[in-house]
Amino acid sequence: MRTLQKFNARAALIQLVKQILCLAMVIIVLLPVLVTVFAAFKTRADMVNTSPLALPDNVTLENFEEVFTNKRLWTGLKNTLIILAVSLFFNILLGTITAYIIERFDFKFKKTVVALFFIGMLVPTFVTEIARFKIINGIGLYGTVGAPIVIYVASDLMQLYIYRQFLSTIPTSLDESALPDGCSYFQLFRKIIFPLLAPATATVAIIKSITIINDMYIPYLYMPGNKQRTLTTFLMDYANAQQGSWQTLAAGIVIVMLPTVLLYIFFQRYILAGVAAGAVKE
Amino acid sequence: MNHLAKKRRQFIIAALAIPVLLLVCFVVVPAIDLIRMSFTNWDGLSKTSDFIWLDNYISMLKNPDLWQSLKNNAVYFFVHLLTIPVELAFAVLLTSKLRAAKFYKTMVFLPYIINGVAISYAFSYFFSPINGAFDSILEAVKLGMLSGHGWLSDEKIVNFTLAFVSLWRFSGYHIVLFMAALQSVNQDILEAATIDGASSWQLFRYIQTPSIMLMVDFVLFDNIRGAMQVFDIPFVMTQGGPGYASSTFTLYTIKTAFTFSNFGLAATMAVAIMLMIILIYIVQNKIIHGLILKEGK
Repeated sequence: MRTLQKFNARAALIQLVKQILCLAMVIIVLLPVLVTVFAAFKTRADMVNTSPLALPDNVTLENFEEVFTNKRLWTGLKNTLIILAVSLFFNILLGTITAYIIERFDFKFKKTVVALFFIGMLVPTFVTEIARFKIINGIGLYGTVGAPIVIYVASDLMQLYIYRQFLSTIPTSLDESALPDGCSYFQLFRKIIFPLLAPATATVAIIKSITIINDMYIPYLYMPGNKQRTLTTFLMDYANAQQGSWQTLAAGIVIVMLPTVLLYIFFQRYILAGVAAGAVKE
Repeated sequence: MNHLAKKRRQFIIAALAIPVLLLVCFVVVPAIDLIRMSFTNWDGLSKTSDFIWLDNYISMLKNPDLWQSLKNNAVYFFVHLLTIPVELAFAVLLTSKLRAAKFYKTMVFLPYIINGVAISYAFSYFFSPINGAFDSILEAVKLGMLSGHGWLSDEKIVNFTLAFVSLWRFSGYHIVLFMAALQSVNQDILEAATIDGASSWQLFRYIQTPSIMLMVDFVLFDNIRGAMQVFDIPFVMTQGGPGYASSTFTLYTIKTAFTFSNFGLAATMAVAIMLMIILIYIVQNKIIHGLILKEGK
């Protein structure tokens, strides 16, 4: 009995230490975010009079109004949604079919094709644009939503690994059973394989959405015009115009942060599953 | 049967044509073109450019600002490298028996999900010299004498501040990867080994460690790749300044191309980045595997 009590006390102590460590982590994660959220609800006077760590004295919505009345925000939102919808559509379509073929068929040059996609993963992201810039310019996509779309579809290949890993868990007997009934390969893919991949597609769609909404570099480089802002590049413009007015910039930060944070909170389990699958490719 | 084989081939070709074409045009060709461009003096606009042999490579090696930038990358590399054991420990902690584990798991990955530009501006505010949150915290915990440094303007400090921001943003990614690896350890094997009388140290040493080694390897590689390619945090927060105090190799490369229109030289730097990633990975692998093998004996 006494040893059991001792054991319980020890377990409780260990749990306490764990909780303290975790709470410290939560504080570090939330501090910069909370400070910004506080500022977004503060008046100009509160910004001077209250500590940045303190809640606002007089909660105000002016800062948000100020951001929401900025037309560029809505342009940015529209462009982001267009890029997102079209990229996702092609990413999922091409990702599923490519993964299906690589995983389930044997053909000449298969090794070459797989190697090509593997090289695609290794090419460093930012600096490749130095050479890609010429090509995008050459085909007239510079300054249009077409530039980010074509780059996201062609070069971000992590969905391939998520789909391949998922496919390897589906028994082949399932898909081949449909073939003798005069079903074409394309019908087989559309009616059987594609629906079977739905859970993986959910993961891909959510991770891709977050990456695309958050991306600054590609839109910054290829869509420099005022009417070509995305949600993220809008914030860069907005920040440059707010010199010293931290409360309005804070409101802008909160608004731009919100979509991906919400996606994350609602669809967390898909994300955590996919991140690990996308990383270990072998 | 021949008919089916033909149908099969048509399907494969039709399905792979577009993804392979896209990959070749927008990934493979640019990657090769980068190497070719590194031997030219192309300015990004002209129709023609001259082949200038190794001139770009020589001027790259002689560029002091670029070396300064590379030193800044090294800070990111070591700060993140030294944190990897902590990340692994946190992954073990979060997968162990823990109350509210789900909430903590959500929190640990949150920084990685947050919009990078937005959080960079949030950190600019956090470290701002006038009524900044970080200085207020220092004062609140009676370390006021440390406050008032220009966290983002003092050239001796700024790069460390940015490396901290990078740590804040990316540590969660590694923790999640380690968690996945720890959870993927086959429970049946663990149980069987326990029944056969294996001690918990033996379980850790011979079953858990080998199965997460692959992930440790990936995280180490990801760290090199990440450290060499630090771009958006300094780009948004300091533009690499003051001077080149917080510039990074990738930031300098991008500026060389798109601000100074020296695409040839920028391509040379891009090639250097690729080579350095591979080289550091090989060296690091040698060192780490050497150490672990020694420990095993």
